[in-house]
Amino acid sequence: MSIPDVPILDVRGLIAGYEPGLSIVKGASIHADEKEIVVILGPNGAGKSSLIKAIAGLVPITGGEVLLDGRDITHGAAHLRVRQGLAFVPQTENIFPLMTVEENLRVAGGVLQRGEVQARIDETYTMFPDLARQRKLAAGSLSGGQRQMLAVGRALIVHPRVLMLDEPSAGLSPKFVEMVFARLNEIRRAGLTIVLVEQNARAALAIGDRAYVLVEGREAHEGRAATLWEDPVVAELYLGKRRHA
Amino acid sequence: MNLQFIVDGLISGSLIGLGAIGITLTYSILRFSNFAHGDFMAWGAYGTLSVVAAIGALVGTTAPIGALSFGWPLILAAIAGMIMTACLALLLDWLLFARLRDKGQSIIVVMASFGASMALRSLLEFIFTSSPTYFSRGIQMAIPIGLGIRITPDQMVMLATTIVLVTAMHLFMSRSQTGREMRAYSQNPALARVVGINVDRVVRATWIIGAALACAAGVMVGILVQIRPLMGLDLLLPMFAAAILGGIGSVPGAVLGGLIIGLSEAAAVQLIGAEWRAAIAFAILMAVLLVRPMGLFGRAER
Repeated sequence: MSIPDVPILDVRGLIAGYEPGLSIVKGASIHADEKEIVVILGPNGAGKSSLIKAIAGLVPITGGEVLLDGRDITHGAAHLRVRQGLAFVPQTENIFPLMTVEENLRVAGGVLQRGEVQARIDETYTMFPDLARQRKLAAGSLSGGQRQMLAVGRALIVHPRVLMLDEPSAGLSPKFVEMVFARLNEIRRAGLTIVLVEQNARAALAIGDRAYVLVEGREAHEGRAATLWEDPVVAELYLGKRRHA
Repeated sequence: MNLQFIVDGLISGSLIGLGAIGITLTYSILRFSNFAHGDFMAWGAYGTLSVVAAIGALVGTTAPIGALSFGWPLILAAIAGMIMTACLALLLDWLLFARLRDKGQSIIVVMASFGASMALRSLLEFIFTSSPTYFSRGIQMAIPIGLGIRITPDQMVMLATTIVLVTAMHLFMSRSQTGREMRAYSQNPALARVVGINVDRVVRATWIIGAALACAAGVMVGILVQIRPLMGLDLLLPMFAAAILGGIGSVPGAVLGGLIIGLSEAAAVQLIGAEWRAAIAFAILMAVLLVRPMGLFGRAER
């Protein structure tokens, strides 16, 4: 159980980058509370993807800390973070194309008890009936939207506390974007915390509770998602051009 | 036409295929060509030979099993040899490959495997000398099975053992969680990490399986032909050709590739001349690289 007022995900002054001395994330601090959808926006190259990849354990962290439910996971291996309840869906190449849909789900169940895996897979099929119909197909043959569903379904197999997604709407048709965001909203209502990096600011802010605008590797602004559009600072930082476009 | 080459080719091909499984797994999962893989075969064979000698010293001579040339000590010793070879591979990874892999340049790891290969081979020559040795010096009668083909009981058992090992390997890769994790990791290492796969465990499993199968192949070569420090090196090119022909990362592909190479070599010996044997694997390798670089069961490069 998390203690009230302690964010479930707390990132403090994070510094991260692929090469030593070349930080992309430069002291970013964000947090997410339980059942909250937090949106991270920002111009291209602001370090949004690198920030959530660093939180997921894919980009080396050289400074700051990442706390999950009060526990320090800053330097843990990526797979251990998953075990501790932090799931991540990358933007591209987020499925194993040569494995079947079912194998894609099953491979993520390694951390579960043997008996639990099938029940969790069935649960995913209930949530995404399309996947159930295509369980025997190679995941590489799925459409963009179906791949995204599979990637999200697979991340949920371990019943994480926090689900982080890197641009889940990228490359999807408007119909699928709507569907993906509707699903994320349902998932949140079921008790999950969601951290979302998005270029599609309008769709993300429509379901988000709170949002950060990331500029040059650190958060430049934080506010309620619903009112973020109206903030003149944000307009100037990032959204302005789009709003008047 | 004498069809004996079919049996000869199937047997040498299945041993090449068994060795090629390790090469294809190392290449697809650890992302480098391990030139020391052949030496795992030789080390496995010598390790097994040493355990056979130790068992012999403890319990005295034992009778062979049925019509075979060897007794139960060799079977026990081969299992011990597989464990020892797996430990050797893990030790080498810990000492050498893991450190270089972390630096991220696969060509350096390949070069290191060249060095490791030479060191392992020289060490064998130093300990056991370069003269060939045998598990058994007995001569086996080949049994005629029709169409002018003859096969020895040892050959039959080796063929059956290979089929069992390859089937077990295929089931392991397709049905077990570790096998799935290995396949997932070979397709996308970063994604494997974020779906909760323990990379270190995948790396260990790859070494253990590759080295144990190399040892099994080495022991079988030792039983059917002879044991020499250079035995692995001699099979290295055919094994690489088999792995590439089958498609990197594919276990059934490696085995099928091995069979094709083995049969082609045996056919070349009979039809063209024994001196062309070694050229066949090379010719097939070149042809595959030029015509279908992804191999029979391979996937196009990402």
